[in-house]
Amino acid sequence: MSEHNGNLEQVYYDDEIVKKFIMATLVFAGIAFLAGLLAALQMAFHPFNTNLEWLTFGRLRPLHTNAAIFAFAGNAIFAGIYHSTQRLLKTRLFSDTLSNIHFWGWQLIILAAAITLPLGYSQGKEYAELEWPIDIAITLIWVVFAVNFFGTLARRREKHLYVALWFYIATIVTVAVLHIVNALSIPVSLFKSYPVYAGIQDAMVQWWYGHNAVAFFLTTPFLGLMYYYMPKAANRPVYSYRLSIIHFWALVFIYIWAGPHHLLYTSLPEWAQTLGVVFSLMLWAPSWGGMINGLLTLRGAWHLLRTDPVIKFFAAAVTFYGMSTFEGPLLSIKSVSALAHYTDWIIGHVHGGALGWNGFLTFGMIYFLVPRLWKTELYSIKLATTHFWIGFMGIIGYYLSMVTAGITQGLMWRAIDAQGKLVYPDFVETVNQIVPLYWVRAFSGLLFIIGFFLMCYNLYKTIRSAPARSEPQPTEVKNTRWVVAAGHETPHRSLEGMATVFTVLALVAILVGSVIEIYPTLNMHKYVPRDAAIEPLTPLELAGRDLYLREGCYVCHSQQIRPLVAEVLRYGDPSTIAESMYDRPFQWGSKRTGPDLARVGNKYPDLWHFRHMLDPRSVVQQSLMPAYPWMLQKKTDFVGLRKRVTVLKNLGVPYTEEHLANADVMAEKQAAEIGKALVAQGAPEGVENKEIVAMIAYLQSLGQKRKANRTTQVGKAE
Amino acid sequence: MADNKDDKYLMDHNYDGIQEYDNPLPAWWLITFFGTIIFGFHYWIHYEFGGGQTLADELKGDLAIVKSLNPSTDNPDKEETLAALVSSDTAKTLGKEVYGAKCAVCHGPELQGLIGPNLVDEYWIQGKGKLVDIAVVVRKGVLDKGMPNWDNQLKEEEIQSVTAYIYASRGNKPANPKAPQGEKVVE
Ligand code: HEC
Ligand code: HEC
Repeated sequence: MSEHNGNLEQVYYDDEIVKKFIMATLVFAGIAFLAGLLAALQMAFHPFNTNLEWLTFGRLRPLHTNAAIFAFAGNAIFAGIYHSTQRLLKTRLFSDTLSNIHFWGWQLIILAAAITLPLGYSQGKEYAELEWPIDIAITLIWVVFAVNFFGTLARRREKHLYVALWFYIATIVTVAVLHIVNALSIPVSLFKSYPVYAGIQDAMVQWWYGHNAVAFFLTTPFLGLMYYYMPKAANRPVYSYRLSIIHFWALVFIYIWAGPHHLLYTSLPEWAQTLGVVFSLMLWAPSWGGMINGLLTLRGAWHLLRTDPVIKFFAAAVTFYGMSTFEGPLLSIKSVSALAHYTDWIIGHVHGGALGWNGFLTFGMIYFLVPRLWKTELYSIKLATTHFWIGFMGIIGYYLSMVTAGITQGLMWRAIDAQGKLVYPDFVETVNQIVPLYWVRAFSGLLFIIGFFLMCYNLYKTIRSAPARSEPQPTEVKNTRWVVAAGHETPHRSLEGMATVFTVLALVAILVGSVIEIYPTLNMHKYVPRDAAIEPLTPLELAGRDLYLREGCYVCHSQQIRPLVAEVLRYGDPSTIAESMYDRPFQWGSKRTGPDLARVGNKYPDLWHFRHMLDPRSVVQQSLMPAYPWMLQKKTDFVGLRKRVTVLKNLGVPYTEEHLANADVMAEKQAAEIGKALVAQGAPEGVENKEIVAMIAYLQSLGQKRKANRTTQVGKAE
Repeated sequence: MADNKDDKYLMDHNYDGIQEYDNPLPAWWLITFFGTIIFGFHYWIHYEFGGGQTLADELKGDLAIVKSLNPSTDNPDKEETLAALVSSDTAKTLGKEVYGAKCAVCHGPELQGLIGPNLVDEYWIQGKGKLVDIAVVVRKGVLDKGMPNWDNQLKEEEIQSVTAYIYASRGNKPANPKAPQGEKVVE
């Protein structure tokens, strides 16, 4: 190639696809936020569960989280990536057809999620609840996105990749790896499957996924967006190129290891927990590298903070990012985790990131893009500024109320008096203490939503004022793809010109930590001594467990007693690796709105559970747990049990030939016994074939499956 | 803002109008970055090879402390101390409160029996209906039969007061009593 400065060429950017993704972002933001508000109200006042199975908290929360992450943030990412990538590479997207398949495919996936989650089709793994056919669709659409993106890279008219693109590349490859590895499961029927991992394996893989969904779906793509839109909006150079390099590589390499910080003090092997702590601490500086580069890009343009709502949103977003990424390592310190884990502090932490960082960055980006794409002016800067302040107050209120709630409840759970007894042995007492804060949280969320609707109105007026659509105009760009470097190039600079090598290196960076952490846990037998073996669930109990997954009980209940003294006093011996060795998926949970259930078996008579499931208030006056009256109407699917048992047997659960052949008969027999006992205690007749009996059987089996020592007494750890 | 002090770091490339400075890394950032790495390394060595406390050890130590807080092993339930409470109105009021909050769900608001047995008839499954018998059941529970143990859940005076309350309610005649369970006790 001869030395030249590049030819002038004309490009038609595809802005229609960007507009579509922006619209989808707005629609799903509304849905995700309203679902969140309803969920918040249910916490404050249980009748908001409405006794409708589709809206009950256990099913609504997965809908809210999936909508917020994959529908709202997802569409926002796609809009921003498609818009900025074309400009950074001076070329139109690789294929209009792929762009459209990507768009409509993604919206269909969201629709499928919005239908199946309320119906209770759930894999029972947080942020990965969607059942296997939808998982496959996600994989396919992600591949379409990847082909479209890398095809665009191949056709670029700019030799070097700008830092925003590094982050997009890391996002695309890592999310693919995470999603596929975590979603591996064996179907039982069209809407039911069991994961290939069990117990600690599943815990390890799930939180490797869960943590890195935050890292590579909610962090790296948004950092990429920040690197494009922040300097654009401020019209200032990025603060430091070398900081970009070091924080990028440090971030992608280190982030992937930090998953086990979600599992501190659990029965996950301790070496993995220690790795989780160490790498989380090391994440602090790389994360703050992004914050510094974002905020200091505003040096020399601070005055815009006063006048330009876009800059306001960006600056606040990056500040929230800095806050969350400081808090994250803090929460990963063992003693802090001991207090905060399972409490609302974590919920506050998440929302500082989600509302502050993802929400505000997206809002800023949309305020920036809409007037440009529709070729007009923003209808009202004042309204946008109002949106900023209302939203800001909402986030602060949300965050403070949840951190206070979390610390309060955490301290109450662990309080021990001078005689060595729990000060608040009654769990409900610790819940009622924070209910006022649940109201504050709901109100704060409402503020955030009001701000959002102001934005929608503002954008509506903006778009209304846009000139009629004109023919797309070409942009003149200089083709510098093949320019030869004038002088010496640093190695990284050369790397930026080699998209494929760059991508492979990014992939290697994330695979190192993944393999080192996941591979050892795949060999379960190393961790479970033979004599500690446990009995698998009976078929009826298995049916009950699947109901537990369907109802999303894990969003409020943990099944993991930590080796902390207050926990042993409250719930019994710490959970062991063996006890969850057949659990597919594991149900250790991440939040205790209700008490831990790992050893609830045999704690209460069947009739207690019967009445509790139908109306928790009838046995625990101040409970905020939803009622499950439909479990008394619906019949247990006995026939399907043979297939379920068979799939589990193939996965290694020691069911016998008898189980395979007669699972349904065995279940019906056990159900009849429980039904009879219930009637004797005063329950109505004819409940034995109802779901509630399967549920009770499962609850009564919890903590009772160790072959030796069938009953455990509270407080006897040794 | 033409003459900014960063300008000497301005790099010559430009992406869609975006330029970059190549500012040096802030010292405090570098210190944090390497500081956490060095700390992490030591932390790892300490817990994996340096004899750092395991979670099980930690728990053992803490449980020992809690046990030492509660050294008295002699039975706190004495027929005479409990009998004194039966004639105390404050104790019975407290006992009634505790009963309503914790026991009524299973034994019925009138003690008539529901999930658990009737507590005002002359039949007893556990013991002979003496004050000490009742206190022991309440304290230890009958875990296999669905009667929880309350020694961790209730305070000492609550356990004793609810015992006194139940004892004082013997002979009440609630509507719809549950059929007798256990042995008839004649005094
Ligand atoms: C909104 C959160 C929430 C959901 C969802 C929820 N629970 Fe609860 N649960 C609670 C709270 C709060 C308590 C404590 C008060 C009480 O006992 O009702 C509780 C208590 C319990 C208890 C008694 C535990 C004990 O040791 O006293 C059981 C058993 C239970 N829940 C089972 C379930 C099952 C099964 C599901 C799913 C079908 C479920 N819960 C869903 C909040 C929830
Ligand atoms: C979860 C239900 C449940 C709760 C709550 C409960 N009990 Fe019981 N209780 C039972 C059952 C079941 C039995 C019968 C045990 C047996 O068969 O030996 C029982 C037995 C008893 C007995 C012995 C009765 C006899 O005939 O020997 C006493 C006394 C008693 N409970 C007192 C209490 C008190 C006091 C409370 C509240 C602090 C309480 N119970 C709360 C279920 C409960």
